[in-house]
Amino acid sequence: MTDDGDEGGDGEVVVDRDEQPTLTTDGGAPATADDEQSATASYVTRWLSDAGIAEYLGVLVVAVFLVVVAVGVVAPSSAPGQFVAILFSKGTLAATLRRTVPIAFAALGGIFAEKSGVINIGLEGLLIISAFGAAAIAQVTGSVWIGLVGGVLASTLLALLFAVACIEFRADQIIAGLAIWLIALGLAPFASVVIYGSKNTPTIDTFDRITIPVLAELPFFGALFDNSPDVYLLFVAVIGSWWVLNRTRFGRWVRASGENPDALDTAGVDVSRVRYAAVSLSGVLAGLGGAALSISLRGFTGNGPTMVNGRGFIAIVAYLFGNYDPVGALLSTMLFTSLTQLQLELQASGVLSIPGPVVRTIPFVTVIVVLALFGKTRIPAAAGDHFESGEE
Amino acid sequence: MHDIDRRQFVRGAGLAGLAGLAGCTGGGGGDTETATPTPAAPATIGMVYATGGLDDGSFNDQAQQGLQQAKEEFGVASDRSQPSEVSQFKNFQQQFAQSTDPNYDLVCCIGFLQTDALKETADSFSDQQFMIVDSVVDQGNVASYVFKEHEGSYLGGVLAGMVTQMEFAAGGGESDPDSANVGFVGGVESSLIKKFEAGYLAGVASVDSGIETQSTYTGSFSDPQAGKEAALSMYNNGADVVYHAAGNTGTGVFQAAQSEGRFAIGVDRQQSITRSSYADVILGSMVKRVDTAVFNAIESVVNDSFQGGSTVTLGLANDGVQLAYGDQLGGELPDDVKSEITAAREGIVGGDISVPTEP
Repeated sequence: MTDDGDEGGDGEVVVDRDEQPTLTTDGGAPATADDEQSATASYVTRWLSDAGIAEYLGVLVVAVFLVVVAVGVVAPSSAPGQFVAILFSKGTLAATLRRTVPIAFAALGGIFAEKSGVINIGLEGLLIISAFGAAAIAQVTGSVWIGLVGGVLASTLLALLFAVACIEFRADQIIAGLAIWLIALGLAPFASVVIYGSKNTPTIDTFDRITIPVLAELPFFGALFDNSPDVYLLFVAVIGSWWVLNRTRFGRWVRASGENPDALDTAGVDVSRVRYAAVSLSGVLAGLGGAALSISLRGFTGNGPTMVNGRGFIAIVAYLFGNYDPVGALLSTMLFTSLTQLQLELQASGVLSIPGPVVRTIPFVTVIVVLALFGKTRIPAAAGDHFESGEE
Repeated sequence: MHDIDRRQFVRGAGLAGLAGLAGCTGGGGGDTETATPTPAAPATIGMVYATGGLDDGSFNDQAQQGLQQAKEEFGVASDRSQPSEVSQFKNFQQQFAQSTDPNYDLVCCIGFLQTDALKETADSFSDQQFMIVDSVVDQGNVASYVFKEHEGSYLGGVLAGMVTQMEFAAGGGESDPDSANVGFVGGVESSLIKKFEAGYLAGVASVDSGIETQSTYTGSFSDPQAGKEAALSMYNNGADVVYHAAGNTGTGVFQAAQSEGRFAIGVDRQQSITRSSYADVILGSMVKRVDTAVFNAIESVVNDSFQGGSTVTLGLANDGVQLAYGDQLGGELPDDVKSEITAAREGIVGGDISVPTEP
């Protein structure tokens, strides 16, 4: 989607040269410029003729959903009515946003790394180390903002270690990524035991909520304007990431480095440096997510899988689902987190008369179904490959 | 140039790895500590802790407290191992069972996740005495200790039900007299955690069957964010008190209570002390005396009265479970609440009230 977007904005000549081989290597994709224009013109007729099972199923699901909502609005005391009340409550949206923060930040980080050709499967580890770093530093300094910076630093350092292993020493990216996760999973609780004598850090301060007057009073969308700073920071980061990836020279280098590093090298750009920068950036972004998680929960919990509890792996799914688009990653994360929150509230309200264990699988089943039916993920051509410049 | 760098890197990594391995020779993933017993010790105890490990602020620490008490009273010697995964239980149990120097008189297995491993181990080492907490292993050489969590939770339910119906403000929370609504947040849904829920809901219903209840399971014992969001939505829907049986996930419940100015009830230990930053919203805690189980088992070994194959059930009657009032809020609870709870306790001990184990 976004790939097409910058075809029109060919402001920079050098970069388009990098971009060109990308499209030819990936000849199967139907998204050439001509095609796109005709597509927008007769989208509906084309859809009807092309539509497969996936599309019809999709329409069916949307139709069922609309019927449920309609029934719910008409009869608020019925089961669909209660369902709709939960679905469109301010509290659900606010909870969804809070849950989205760590996952979406990690997903943004994953996008930069993988777009540049380095598959960063260690996002979970980056979240863990930054969650602990932020809590520990906030506890020592007494300032959550310094804690946030500390968490980001910790995560960036670990990401750099990963970058050195993958780029300088050409380690297998998947193995190195797993190592990053395992290092953080062991190191963070261990450091906590050394410093505090317990796997959990003491309670720290948290962010103050920022409420935007008037807008926060809106019925449902008011929840968007009544949050702690980390939520706003996420919105800024999503827009910023999209802009950097699609509208700046650095973004084009990152994409070229993942699609066709040889072309980038030929154009005189150091592929390794681009990849170092992209992986470090993934450390910064994931660090913001981990730090926001532990600060918003007033401390780090290190038992078992730690408080991060698989969010880094969900993030990987989220950005693949969003096809490496920051906005897509945010939306797919929100789909997952809203369903997770919804199932908790449905369990509590007892609206659905099906067993709790089944209700709890709703987010996972939905995401798998949506991914299988509508997922269109195109992995960068050179992702996972080492690059060696011919120069040396 | 790259090749040299890589070789140096590999060599460095190899050296670091060797050093790491050398440091691990004792443990092999988990951590085993061996202490030579003093000859005078009346018994040597091997402890296999649950996967959370020591310093978990609840289950394992409580078990260790029982061991400490036995050390002080009888002077027993002990070694411990802290498996980090379920797959390691069998290995650690067998290490203790096989050992002849020292020869362990009793191996304590903490936590229901050890059940399957112990069934095999106890079968292959029929001369070794074992005890297990939170589960029943039906073998002649195993003493099983289980708790009536539902009885303690019932008292928590009475507390919650009374508080939500009255106008009560103390510490950092207040109850809304207009709404009669309470909540329960569980960790991983299992028959064990369902006992907490069932007892709690029965206790609430005993106060007034009209009180609305909300129960939810987060699916994890270490996800405070999930606990917080679950409890926040309950408080938003009018809940005055939320009880949790969710380990570290419960920390999030306390935070939600604090941010909404409502109350919570803790679990396993006296959480108004172990989580003291939330003492201003913790009405009380359903305390589970794992230490009593460990101490009793050791005592029986020391006195040569160990009963393999027996199952000891610790309930309200023998102080195996208790409702401990909050350190900060307990003093402010009205007397009629406390007398109601005392009456319910007597009713359960006396057999007049039977508490369900399934919701």
